[in-house]
Amino acid sequence: MSIIVAFLQAVLLVAIAPLISGIARNIRAKMHSRKGPSILQDYYDLAKLWKRCEVREGGSGLISRLMPPIYLGSFVLVAAGLPLIMQACPVPYLGDIITILYLMALPRFMFSLASIDSAGSYTAIGGVRELLVGVLVEPSLILVLFVMALAAGSTNVGVMAHAVASLEAYPFVAVVVAGIACAMACYIEMGKLPFDLAEAEQEIQEGPLAAYSGPSLAMLKLGVSVKQLVVASIFVAIFIPFGAAATTAPLDILLGFVLYIVKVLAVFLVAAVIENSVMRVRYKLLGRYTWFVVGIASLSLVFLVIGI
Amino acid sequence: MVAAKKNTALRVCETHVQAVRNTFPGAVLDATWQAEDQVTITVPTDMLPDVVEFLYYGRGGWLPNMVANDERPLNGNYALYYLLSMEEEDPGFVTVRVEVDPYAMEYPSVTPRVPACVWSEREAYDMFGLRAVGLPDQRRLVLPDDWPDGLFPLQKDAMDYRKRPAPVTDVENYSFLYEGNAEETTQVPMGPLHITSDEPGHFRLFVDGEDIIDADYRLFYVHRGMEKVAESRLDYDAVTFLADRICGICGNAHSVAYAEAVEHAQGIEVPIRAQYIRAILLEVERLHSHLLNLGLVCHYCGFDTGFQHFFRVREKAMDLAVLLTGARKTYGLNLIGGVRRDILDKQKIATMSYVRELRNDVEALVDMLVSTANFESRTAGIGRLDPAVARDYSPVGPCVRGSGIARDVRFDHPFDGYKYLTGLKARSHDGCDVQSRTLVRVEEFMDSLTMIEQMLDGAPGGPIRTEDWQYTPHKYALGYTEAPRGEDMHWAQVGDNQKCYRWRAKAATYSNWPILRYMFRGNTVADAAIIVGSMDPCYSCTDRVTIVDVNKKTSKILTKDQLEDYCSRRTHSPLMEKGA
Repeated sequence: MSIIVAFLQAVLLVAIAPLISGIARNIRAKMHSRKGPSILQDYYDLAKLWKRCEVREGGSGLISRLMPPIYLGSFVLVAAGLPLIMQACPVPYLGDIITILYLMALPRFMFSLASIDSAGSYTAIGGVRELLVGVLVEPSLILVLFVMALAAGSTNVGVMAHAVASLEAYPFVAVVVAGIACAMACYIEMGKLPFDLAEAEQEIQEGPLAAYSGPSLAMLKLGVSVKQLVVASIFVAIFIPFGAAATTAPLDILLGFVLYIVKVLAVFLVAAVIENSVMRVRYKLLGRYTWFVVGIASLSLVFLVIGI
Repeated sequence: MVAAKKNTALRVCETHVQAVRNTFPGAVLDATWQAEDQVTITVPTDMLPDVVEFLYYGRGGWLPNMVANDERPLNGNYALYYLLSMEEEDPGFVTVRVEVDPYAMEYPSVTPRVPACVWSEREAYDMFGLRAVGLPDQRRLVLPDDWPDGLFPLQKDAMDYRKRPAPVTDVENYSFLYEGNAEETTQVPMGPLHITSDEPGHFRLFVDGEDIIDADYRLFYVHRGMEKVAESRLDYDAVTFLADRICGICGNAHSVAYAEAVEHAQGIEVPIRAQYIRAILLEVERLHSHLLNLGLVCHYCGFDTGFQHFFRVREKAMDLAVLLTGARKTYGLNLIGGVRRDILDKQKIATMSYVRELRNDVEALVDMLVSTANFESRTAGIGRLDPAVARDYSPVGPCVRGSGIARDVRFDHPFDGYKYLTGLKARSHDGCDVQSRTLVRVEEFMDSLTMIEQMLDGAPGGPIRTEDWQYTPHKYALGYTEAPRGEDMHWAQVGDNQKCYRWRAKAATYSNWPILRYMFRGNTVADAAIIVGSMDPCYSCTDRVTIVDVNKKTSKILTKDQLEDYCSRRTHSPLMEKGA
C-alpha cells in the first residue's frame, strides 16, 4: 500500500506543480494590478515547449543533455519519499534526511556543471550563483534537520513528522525555533524573489535556463516548479504534519490529501506575497540573510542542548 | 579690435568673446550673434583646442556637441561648430567655429583637452571625412562595419539619400577597447539585443568574476540617416514633424528644439501663448517619461509589482497627452512660428484634475518604492558618476543632476513658458549613484506638475502661431529644450531652396553615453542593467531613427480645411470616410 502511495504522491506532485506555479503567477498578476494568465498557463507553456524542436549550443556536451532529466528526476524521487499525505514515510529508505539532502544537492551540482558546459557567460555566472546559494543555505538546513533528528530521535522524516504531529518532539521551544529557521531556509531554497539569483532575468538573462529550449526547457521548467513544491513540502511535512493520515485507511488518506493541498497552497500564498513586495537581493549581500538563518538555526541547537 | 571699454550695455555672451580676445590676441576672426543669447566666433584652425578648452574650463562652459558642416558650396571650406553652453556668469551660448581646408580635411582634435568632444569628433569623420588629428579613439561611431571606406554620407556631393552602397564585408570587425588594469578578464557581451533593455545596443563588459573592470559599447545599430533625409527631401518647415519621430518618448522636445533653432535664426517671434503651450506639452512629456523610468528602476531591481503600478499610473499621464494633443504621443504639434492646437478652458480644467490625481498617486507609489526591501542596497552607491568625470564629459539631465551638478536648460537658459515660472529651481542630489538619479526624477516629476499648474494659470490669451516672417537663406542658430533625459540641442541652417542646409539633432542621451563606462567600473554584472537604466538611455534618440511608411498602397488627398477641422474636433476622421 505504501509503495502505491509513494508512487501516487510523486505523480501527484509532478501533476500539480504547474498548477501551483500557475496560481502563483495569477496572484502575482493580481498584485501587479493585471488580469493575469489562466492558472493553467504553465501547462500550456509546457505543452508548447514539448512540441518544439530542441536547439543545442555549439560545443555543449553530454552534461547539458543529462541535466534536465536528472534535475527533474531527483526531485521526483524526493517527492516519492516524503511523508506528505501520511505521517510515515511511504518508502523509509527515501525518507532519511541524509538521503533527502543529497538528492537535493545532486540537481544543484548538475545544474552548475551544465552551466560551465555551456558557452554562455551569463550561464556560467548563473551556475556560480546557484552554488553560492547552496553553500550558504544548506548548512542551516542541515543544522535544522539535525536538531529535529535529535528531538525526534531518528533521522527519518516520517518519524519526525509523527513526533511533531503527536506533540512528542522535545524540547518544544527548540522545535519551534527550528521550524522558523527551516521556513526561512526553505524560502531561500525555493529560489523565489528576492533570492532567484541563478535565474535573475534582468541581471543575467535567466542564467543557465537561457541555454535550453524545447523539451529540455520544458523538463527544466517543470523541474523548477517541482523543486519549489518539494521544498515547500519538506517544511510542511516536518513542521506542519497535523492532519496527515496516521493510518492507511482510505478516509484518513483522503483527509490527509486535502489537508496537504490546503497547507501547501497556504505556504505558496505567503511566498507569493513576499515575492512580489521585495526587490531582488544583491547577490553579494546574500550572505547577510543567510547568516541570519544560520543564527536562528544555531539558536534552536542551543535550546536543544539546554533542553527548553 | 573692438574697443573693450565701450560704455554701452554689453550683449549677452560679449564678456566671453572679450575674454577670448584678451587671452588669445588675434584669435577671434569674426563674432556674430545669431540670436539674443547666441554668438558664434570664428577662430583659426590651429587655435581651436586652446579656445575651446579656455571657454570650457576657464569660463564655465559645457559642451553639448560639435556640428560639422559641409560649407564648400557657400565658402569653399568645411566648418566645425563647437557649441558651448555657458552656465556660470553671463549665461548664453558661445559657438566656436573653425573652417577646415577641403583638401587637407584635418583639424586638431579637442578631445585630449576637453573629453566631451569625443563622440562628435568621431562622428565628424564618419559623416564628413574630417580627421581629428590627435583623437585617441578613431573607431567608427555611426557607420556600420560593412560601410565602404571613403564614402562620407553627409558630404553634399557624396551620395543620394536613397542610395544604399553594397556591403564591403560580412564580418563584424568593430573592436571593443579595454582600459582596465587587471590582466585577465572575461568578456561578457550584453546585446546587441539584451533581454531586459529591449533595444539595440552592444555592451561589452570586461569582468573579473562578477566585478566589472571596464566596459565598452557600441550603438547606432539602427541609424537611418535622418539628417540626410531632412536635407535632401523635406522642406525646412516640415522637419518639425520628422524631429518628432526621433524619439518615441520625447519627440516633442526634439520638435520644439528644431522649431526654435529655425525661429532663432530667422528672428521669428513666437506668440507668448504658443510659448506657454509648448512648455506645458514638454512637461506632459516629462511626466510620462519619468514614470516610465521609475517603473523601469523597479523592474531592473526585480520588483515587477512596482513596475506594473507605475505603468498603471502612467496611463493617466498618457490620457493627459491624449486630452491636450489628440494622441498618446505629443506628436505633430509644432510648427515653425507656433503650435497647431490651443488649450481650451474645458481642457484646462480637466488637466488640473489629472494633475491632482497624478500627484496623489505618484506620492503614494514613491513612498512604497523607497520603503521596499532592498531598494537602498540595490541603488545606493551603485553606478557612481564622479563629478569630476561629469565635468569632463558634459553629461545632461538627471544623470548629471544626480552627481550634485544642477544643470538644467529650463533654468540655465530659460526659454518658452519657463521664462515665466516662479519659485522653482533645478533639482540635484549629490549621492552620484542610481538612487540620487532616481530621487532627482521623483522631485522633477512633482515640479513638472507644479509647472503645468502655474503655466495653465499664467498663460495669456492671444494667437498661437505667427506666419509673419521673412525667410533668409543660410542663417543658422541653436534651439534647445530640456527633454526628460536632459538637454536636446538642435543646430539648424536653412538653405536657399526652402530646405534645411544642415540639421544636427543632438539628443540628450548622446551626451550621456560616453560616461557610462565610468559608471560601470567597480560594479557587478548584476548591476549593469540598472546602471544603464538609471541613465534612462534613449537608443533611438541617439541613433536618430526614422521609419517612414512608404508602402501605403492607397493615397487620399485631404484639403487643408479638412485637416484643420479634424485637428480641433478629433472626431470624424476624414481618412475614415468610405473609399479611403
